[in-house]
Amino acid sequence: MFKEELRLHKSFVGGMGSGFFPVMIFIFALVLAFTSPVVMKNISKDTILLVLHVAALMYGLSVGALGAIGEQVMTRRLGQVNMLLQLSQLHPITFRKIMATFYLKDLLFYILYSIIPLVGGIAVAAPFAKVPFTSVGLLAITLFLTFLLGMSLSFVLSALAVRSRPAAAALGILVVVLVAMVWPLGYLSSGQVLPTLGYWMYRDPLYLLATTVIVIILSSAAVLFTKERFETKQGTYKSMLLPSVERFAFTGDLKVLVAKEWVELRRSGAMGPVVTGFLGPLFAVYILAWFFRTGMGLPISFNSVFYGGMVGFLGVMTYSWLTNLEPNEFMNVQPATVDQVIKAKLVLYFMLTSAVSYTYVTIIAVINGELGLLPLALLVAASTTVYVVGVTARLTGLWTNTMLFDYRVQSKFFGAIVPPLIIVMVLSFWISEAPTISMALLAVESLAMLGASWFVFRSVVTRWKKEHFAFATLTAGSGASS
Amino acid sequence: MVFSVHMAVIRISHIGKRFGKVKALVDVDFDVDKGEFFGLFGPNGAGKTTLTRILTGQLTQDSGEGETMGVPFTDGLGIKRKVGIVPEAETPPTFLTAQEFLELVCRLRDLDKIDKRVDRWLDFFEIEEKRDVLCRDLSRGQRQKVMLASAFIHEPKLLLLDEPFINLDPIFQRKVREYLADHVKKGRTIFMCSHILEVAEKLCTQMAIIKKGRIVALGTLDEIRSSKDEGLEDVFMRLVGAGE
Repeated sequence: MFKEELRLHKSFVGGMGSGFFPVMIFIFALVLAFTSPVVMKNISKDTILLVLHVAALMYGLSVGALGAIGEQVMTRRLGQVNMLLQLSQLHPITFRKIMATFYLKDLLFYILYSIIPLVGGIAVAAPFAKVPFTSVGLLAITLFLTFLLGMSLSFVLSALAVRSRPAAAALGILVVVLVAMVWPLGYLSSGQVLPTLGYWMYRDPLYLLATTVIVIILSSAAVLFTKERFETKQGTYKSMLLPSVERFAFTGDLKVLVAKEWVELRRSGAMGPVVTGFLGPLFAVYILAWFFRTGMGLPISFNSVFYGGMVGFLGVMTYSWLTNLEPNEFMNVQPATVDQVIKAKLVLYFMLTSAVSYTYVTIIAVINGELGLLPLALLVAASTTVYVVGVTARLTGLWTNTMLFDYRVQSKFFGAIVPPLIIVMVLSFWISEAPTISMALLAVESLAMLGASWFVFRSVVTRWKKEHFAFATLTAGSGASS
Repeated sequence: MVFSVHMAVIRISHIGKRFGKVKALVDVDFDVDKGEFFGLFGPNGAGKTTLTRILTGQLTQDSGEGETMGVPFTDGLGIKRKVGIVPEAETPPTFLTAQEFLELVCRLRDLDKIDKRVDRWLDFFEIEEKRDVLCRDLSRGQRQKVMLASAFIHEPKLLLLDEPFINLDPIFQRKVREYLADHVKKGRTIFMCSHILEVAEKLCTQMAIIKKGRIVALGTLDEIRSSKDEGLEDVFMRLVGAGE
């Protein structure tokens, strides 16, 4: 199973890409640990520990929903993908046993792939940041246990949901109530609900033991809840393709493909993740700004123009989601080309994100009392959005999630995106010092990005017109780049 | 004035294709005339699907040239507009219903009377009650029926079929076989790859056998067999080698 996981991962992101992620984690941890003395002057140790442990918990929660995968695999909802998980269909082994092995395999994979690089980065920087090795070791243990807690909770919730949605909802509500008891109600401390954090608060090893017991109980319960047999559910849906074609008639020749993309977005249940995948990072930018201003004590004014630039950059996540809905390989035998489908996805992308982006920038301008900056902020938001998504489409086509792990594509992507974005950021910070010249330069840069976008969008056609809809599959592992 | 009775709808001229060190196709050279039911046979990995993908503009050849319905192989979009294709592996879209997929195909091909066409083919394959079911929730046989319907729906003059009978039950194998025979009777053309040799033997008017990327036999069954008693399966075994 471990070999299968590695090969599956490699087939998605290529050999170099596969090794790139842990390296990134290592560098991130290294930088974070190096800057920790500065950060700790402005943010309390308790807050830092809270943020790190909540992040580890969320990471565990995000990768642990294995119960749902079981159902998808056993009812062929993963299409032509065949995995060892399906062994119990034909061989004398229970699905529970396979699922338990799969869970342990996932655990091992994430330890090697992210936990060890994370701790390694902190350990390397520890002597320079004057952090004792014992603290690094203890932090590694508590973060690891917190990750396990998240993973086992997610596993049990997903396994339970396959059997009984109300039971899973009840357990979910219980968790939410516990969190609410900590914040905003304040009846419990964060250490009482998240025992690994409790260890740091009370220095009592019993908290670590309690976490281990909870993880074992949750994991065992998840395996016990795992169903042995699955039935394919057949929902019926009234046709909405042709009405959608009429609805998107204003998109001209693309209306049929835009309608297809729209129907797939609605049916796949990805609308939620697409929207939250955009709103979440916008919220995260606020948090980051707070971190730099309050935590690092940097005297920087984050104005609406800065946020305008961020909006454009964060759109990549939404475009990536849109390219993940459907492999589209069936289109190989239909009179349509890859570049046409890319254009349809771009149209949908702009329809989904434009209103949110401009509202967000406008709200920031109102909150900051910068209505005078609003036209420029909107221009910056529009130009970065168009430019960044254009570059993404040009470099990654319909396979953003896969190709952005290819180091060659990645380097081109960052080479094209980061310099103009840094210029936007620096100029936005400079507005408070020299408003006239910085605003003029920002306007010029925005117009230049719009001009560049025109060429980028034209090159989307030349780059992708002749490609196969199974491009990523055909070139997997070869590090295909444009 | 003399009219040629041989009008090639597929013209393949010295096509070669490699995948790395593997020679997938070597100097493949033949024509398929209008009104033929042409069968391409060969063992697994012989190059059948590669050739079909080149003929339909899904893959570019390394050497040689050719045309499908007068459109060069390099113009994939042009070819796909004119022909109907049933691919070997691809399945219909995950999140569209059977009806929506057929409607999508009709709109992509600018067809009229969409409702009538969709109803006709859902009825033909007896999957009317599945019209509102997502394609991902259909059985393999039902998905194959939807793929066949999507290739037949615009009644093209040339059909290129890669294992069209796969996952179909005997009733629908016969029904599709009869439809294809009727299709050829109307003067249209079929290019088919299949491993079901007894079906192919009944249907094909011209055939080619491919082995390791090379055409090793080409002609009618009478032309490629060594004796009158030799069936297509015997010819296949003799030319390709039963042990391989």
